[in-house]
Amino acid sequence: MSTEVSIISLLDVKNSSSVQAELRDSIGEVQLIDWHTQWQPQLFQVLNQLKQQGVPLSQWPQSRNWDWPQKTAQVAGLLAFKCFCVTCDGVTQGLMRVDLNKTAQVPEQKGRPLVYVEYLEVAPWNRPDLGQPIRFKGVGTALMVAAVALSEYEGFKGRIGLHSLPQSEDFYRINCKMIDLGLDANYQYLRYFEMTHEQAHAFLKE
Amino acid sequence: MTKRTMTLNLTDDEMRVLVELSERKDLSKTSVLRQALRLYQTVDARLVRGEKLLFENETTKEKSELMLL
Repeated sequence: MSTEVSIISLLDVKNSSSVQAELRDSIGEVQLIDWHTQWQPQLFQVLNQLKQQGVPLSQWPQSRNWDWPQKTAQVAGLLAFKCFCVTCDGVTQGLMRVDLNKTAQVPEQKGRPLVYVEYLEVAPWNRPDLGQPIRFKGVGTALMVAAVALSEYEGFKGRIGLHSLPQSEDFYRINCKMIDLGLDANYQYLRYFEMTHEQAHAFLKE
Repeated sequence: MTKRTMTLNLTDDEMRVLVELSERKDLSKTSVLRQALRLYQTVDARLVRGEKLLFENETTKEKSELMLL
């Protein structure tokens, strides 16, 4: 299967300048090598610092156990699952896996199909919550735009949904302006967020 | 993404169901069929792995297994 590549812009925080990046509708071996050789060592370093500083485990990055080689292998060849990545400067900056089999919960669109974002993670050096200057800004937003665009393409009219890790709730609530449907007792008590057709259009316009 | 076109022959009943589903799900008829293919493949892959497809009644919590051949 061929990979679609779109050119997008990210903000290089250090230079306060816009840089060209690529959004791809697949996660390939190159991205998994980046995850092994660049994401993991940096994350390990951060976890060591948190340990030395005595930061409680509950405040450690909640996606620290996500294993992207496993997550991509699990859905290889399945039409209902799609993976995306953002690359910039020759390195993978963000990864996402979505599921097209889920349906909406918001009353006005209940039961209608949506793009469900199962996993979305940006590289450790792009995470504002790790207490270090970030390198590129806009990676998470670019992946969310990709989810909305896929929803449009599949005829789901921009509808998307997801369960958020507690540390990412503000991103979905404030940056993405998604509807907060509260804690989901059927899904590890994670908060469920959804974006309607109208919200999706507003989100793409921003 | 490259797409291929095919002709699909449906009975009146099948077409009626397709129209009903596309209206209820707010999807085009093509999107309903693509969604059905995705779902069928997902279910089949899990059955091949030895899993079962169960439905649960939200009120009574009664479970029933859907048999697929």
